[in-house]
Amino acid sequence: MRDEFVDDLRDAPPPDPVAALRLIERQRAEAIRRFSPDPRLYHWPWGLAWLIVFGLFFLRYGPGGRTFVAMPDWLPLAVLAVAMIAVTVFTAVTSSRTYSQISGESARRGAWYGYAWFVGFAGLFATLARVTPALPPDLRTLAWSAAPVALTGVLYLAGGAVWLDRNLFVLGAWISGSNIVGVVAGPGWHSLVTALAGGGGMLVTGWLLHRAAVRATRGHEPDGVGASG
Amino acid sequence: MSGPLPELDPVIHAQARLRVVAALSTLPDGDRVAFPRLQDILVMTAGNLSVHLRKLEDAGYVNVTKTHHGRTPTTLICLSRRGRLAFDEYTAAVRALIDPTNRHDQQREEV
Repeated sequence: MRDEFVDDLRDAPPPDPVAALRLIERQRAEAIRRFSPDPRLYHWPWGLAWLIVFGLFFLRYGPGGRTFVAMPDWLPLAVLAVAMIAVTVFTAVTSSRTYSQISGESARRGAWYGYAWFVGFAGLFATLARVTPALPPDLRTLAWSAAPVALTGVLYLAGGAVWLDRNLFVLGAWISGSNIVGVVAGPGWHSLVTALAGGGGMLVTGWLLHRAAVRATRGHEPDGVGASG
Repeated sequence: MSGPLPELDPVIHAQARLRVVAALSTLPDGDRVAFPRLQDILVMTAGNLSVHLRKLEDAGYVNVTKTHHGRTPTTLICLSRRGRLAFDEYTAAVRALIDPTNRHDQQREEV
């Protein structure tokens, strides 16, 4: 132990096995927390955005052309645009922070998955913009809501497959299923279903993933060790 | 108590290096972390971390790669296969020391 004149104290072995194990568990928990993204930061902003945006659409463009709450035509669309941009930027920043200074498969997987969203939505919006003029007004809103929701569902399913994450996969299936229910129910209803089931589903998933992450970290803490010291 | 007590690997049976190895063990296979990020997570000075990484590298427990990210030189670190094995064995040995009767249960927990 005396061969290095550096950090003598920390170079010392842990005083006993219990201390060693506790040191391992603490450091692992800390590293896991720092290396992996907080799932709430991914899912809660989107869940909240869906709840608000589709909620506004339902209130303004309700079933059968009803207006539950009077507001300017442009308001739901403006909120949609602002929310989309704000949350996209937030997600990109969160993700690049998580993967900053980590190189390898996780960073590449995250980046490629992010590109998939951009590429997918570019193709989708190009198609929608082209066909919208030929659609009756009520179906325009439905098309612009249901197609992006369908793509989102598929991308969550793909994310679940990429990371073998059951919660993410279930969220994708849930969003896809509720989207179909909303489309069948028709314009207006689709907004309500998407706001509650879609937005709510994301909020719940964020919470479930967070709880799973906390449990996984705690699960490494050995039973009985905490009690003895 | 049956059998001899397990020996603890002297390379990682030191608080600072144990912390380094424990933190690196949480990186998924195929990932490497840059020196400053690792330093930040471990809250160590650059000098100390360098010394401990060199010892771990000498033992073949970590891979240290010097590369360039654009124009900035970057040092990337990960646990080697041998290092991961040594860490797993160390953890198992420590658990066995704490509770020698419970070795099979410990194995199960490693999953």
